[in-house]
Amino acid sequence: MANDDDDIPKTPNKRTTRSSSSSLSSPPKPPAGTLTLVPSDGLTFSRTSISLENLLSSLPGRRAQILDVLRLIGPVDSPMLPILLYGGASTGKTSTILKIFHHLNRPFIYVSCRSCYNPRILFESVLNQLAFHRKSESNGYSSARRCERASEFVNLLRDSLVQVLNDLGKGKKKAGCGKTTYLVFDNVEVIRSWDGNASVLSLLFRINDILRIPEVGFVYISSSTPEGYYLSTGSTEPVTVYFPDYTVEDLHAIFMRNQENPKLYSSFLSVVLKPFYRITRRLDELLIALEPLFQKYCEPLTDPRLVPDEPTKRRLFDNLQPHLLSALNETFKVPSWSSLDAAKEGISNKKLNSRRIGGKEASNELDFHMSVSAKYLLLSAFLASRNPATLDAALFDSTGGSNNRRRKRKSSQTSIDQKDAMAQEILMKGPGTFPLERLLAIFQCIASVAEDVFDEEPQEEGIMSGGGKVGLMSDVLLQLSTLCNANFLCKSGSCPLEGSTRYRSTVDEEMALKVARSINFPLSKYIYRR
Amino acid sequence: MASEKTLALLRSRLCNRNFVHSAFKSSPDSNYSKLKFLIANSISEACNNSVLLLGPRGCGKSAVVDLVLEDLKAEHPDMITVVRLNGLLHSDDNCALKEIARQLCSELQLLFSKAASSDDNSQFMIDMLRECGLAHKTVIFVLDEFDLFTQGKQRLLYSLLDAMQTLTSQSVVIGVSCRLDADQLLEKRVRSRFSHRKLLCAPPTSEDTVRLLEHLLYLPKDESFPSSYIRDFNSAVQKILGDKRFKEILNSLSNVEGTISNLLRFLFRVVSYLDLESGLLSLENFKTALPCTQRQPKLDALLDVSILELYMLVCMNRLEIKEQNSYNFSSIMKEYKSIQDAYKTSDNYAHNVCLRAFEHLLERELIGFSDPRSRSLSIEFRPVKLLLSPRELHQGLKSNSSCPAILQKLLDHESYK
Repeated sequence: MANDDDDIPKTPNKRTTRSSSSSLSSPPKPPAGTLTLVPSDGLTFSRTSISLENLLSSLPGRRAQILDVLRLIGPVDSPMLPILLYGGASTGKTSTILKIFHHLNRPFIYVSCRSCYNPRILFESVLNQLAFHRKSESNGYSSARRCERASEFVNLLRDSLVQVLNDLGKGKKKAGCGKTTYLVFDNVEVIRSWDGNASVLSLLFRINDILRIPEVGFVYISSSTPEGYYLSTGSTEPVTVYFPDYTVEDLHAIFMRNQENPKLYSSFLSVVLKPFYRITRRLDELLIALEPLFQKYCEPLTDPRLVPDEPTKRRLFDNLQPHLLSALNETFKVPSWSSLDAAKEGISNKKLNSRRIGGKEASNELDFHMSVSAKYLLLSAFLASRNPATLDAALFDSTGGSNNRRRKRKSSQTSIDQKDAMAQEILMKGPGTFPLERLLAIFQCIASVAEDVFDEEPQEEGIMSGGGKVGLMSDVLLQLSTLCNANFLCKSGSCPLEGSTRYRSTVDEEMALKVARSINFPLSKYIYRR
Repeated sequence: MASEKTLALLRSRLCNRNFVHSAFKSSPDSNYSKLKFLIANSISEACNNSVLLLGPRGCGKSAVVDLVLEDLKAEHPDMITVVRLNGLLHSDDNCALKEIARQLCSELQLLFSKAASSDDNSQFMIDMLRECGLAHKTVIFVLDEFDLFTQGKQRLLYSLLDAMQTLTSQSVVIGVSCRLDADQLLEKRVRSRFSHRKLLCAPPTSEDTVRLLEHLLYLPKDESFPSSYIRDFNSAVQKILGDKRFKEILNSLSNVEGTISNLLRFLFRVVSYLDLESGLLSLENFKTALPCTQRQPKLDALLDVSILELYMLVCMNRLEIKEQNSYNFSSIMKEYKSIQDAYKTSDNYAHNVCLRAFEHLLERELIGFSDPRSRSLSIEFRPVKLLLSPRELHQGLKSNSSCPAILQKLLDHESYK
């Protein structure tokens, strides 16, 4: 699926940034040498344009939208009102507009507000492209013009647009693509989370009114609806085109493109697509989910070019069925790097498969590495977040928390509706916060318990317990900051009374149990159940 | 060939605001005539003046100013210097002064120094106003988005209006704003120097709309088109304008928003549907363009969500009906599990799959965090709220053909007892 579209002319200056669109429909990456190549005749894709039929067939399910956009953009050199393309994620907005400009072969520039993450970078990126400026080693990766303020931007933009339009006007006869230049702003919705977003957004939506150059067209792409911009822009609303999510038929057509064995793949899709479609309609996620399943589907086949007949189909389906259910519940799990590499190399294929099938067996292993003391720290953070602080003394007394009797008595005393209210509160509040001191106290307790239990202790632990307080502290604090950076713990503001930073553990119970199992620590003994 | 030319002509008309608003040039009581009279007076009598143009967005305030200035420039060559500022860009005083100096320099062929300080620029402006006054030249300041200039200390407005108090200067300040109370936003010292002239712009009346449509859609009778084609086209337009159904379309459009810019957007879409074969506009074009302008994004989004996402929405709705004032993903998940336990549907998915569906809903902005500040909590525990009304959800489920019957029942049962 990733390397299809070979029939479409390749474009040297690929401007797409989104991985989904590049894996889907935009042309494959050019060889490294041509990456910095700027077309000599300005801002167009390339000299060869794709035909309308090609355009429509390369984007299944987007026929109505393509024709709509084409109509709104209009014939060569006719002015247009700004248009806004909106629709959910992964509905082909960016690839559609890029392909349309490839088809029209008209000059345009493309800026994504996601990669240009503040006003200055956004402004400079627009100006750089208009000035054919590329950041490179020779110019120290600097922009053509330094531009921070909106007022400077508008002046510079007007100047460079006039310049570009003049240049295009001169070369007009040979190109035949007109001189109207289009500015495409992608991911406009991201701007709403910027600082001082209101002014940037209204500037962006009103820039057509401010510039008043009829030879410039503006196209905005957004994944949130036009309603989301009412607050900051008033009624200078662009003309909108809606991109609905793909239907099952569209998805089927998209998946069927450039398949080596269309019959086989079609029979695979007829089994798989419907159930997955109930969960998600996003193409990018379906792509990830279906690829390993298809490999599984093909496994019993000796010849991948075989055209399946009915019994074969049934056999294949029976073979796939057990995997299907687990795959449905594991959808969207992006495989970790190690398993990806294994899949690529084709080695240890069997091992990988066993992990995929089992689900439960696989979950026993951790797919990351962590030092033993970090694991203990993670567990103590987990305990500190889940257990009420008042119970610490009872759980971690000198006997090492094996005192089950007392806890049981306590829980039986609480009445049922109190329990419900507590459960509700836990559901709402999530894991609790705790100060550093409590974490360290629990850590010392459980680390010392572990020492008692196991004779053969890892090296780090030996240092910790033997090396006295000071060594332990610095080491643990270092681990703590590592855990914070890895997002296993998060700092949650400081307590207004004590003033010290409080922490919160973000791992769920399943994960904590996995970690505990990996170091043979009896975690369940310490979790307080209500 | 003629049809393509028509398309290009109509598109360029619709995109050119000055052309659009020139439809109202001739009537004596239009804002155009009033503003022109006012400014022409201050030019001929060499006095200072200030005026505010107020009205909702998209009524053509700036276009009126543009038309007036264009005409006056033609009538009084070399007498007028225009400085345009926009509140979106120049609400910062230093920045505005710099921009004024820059525009004055480029208008009067002087050398503009980028390094000049804000004091220099302000002094330069006052000097230039005096010089222009002595040379009997009028400087016209157009302040777009006037209300944004009143944020902050209003130093720019003060120095501008204060400079106009001297006898030697000769300048006009035109403020354009969509806030009708823009003059109330002024500080006392500024207000006392401001002449309280206000012109109000209103959305067009229905007669005005018809005149505007005629102005925009009829082809001119000149040699560029074959005369038979012009006759056909204009009679087609006339037939449409007289049609009852067209009046209905126009009404439903102006019931939502009656401004000129909304009408232009609609016409732009209509013209984009122009049939290039015959080259004539038809009522069908108007009919197909109407629904595009009346989309309901929330309902569209509800048609697009997957079944699992619908389950999440229904669960949230149930929680709201149970009057749980605050809930998060964990409580939604609890509700979801209880539904699955009770009805044993085939849509029983694992925690992480549901979490992903939940994130999709957040991305689609059908639900939102009720407290956007508490970032430290993980997504599962942050309280959320439904951004849909129960009615919208009900309607969405009904129109979604793939929606399972059980879901519909769960919602109906709860909300329409």
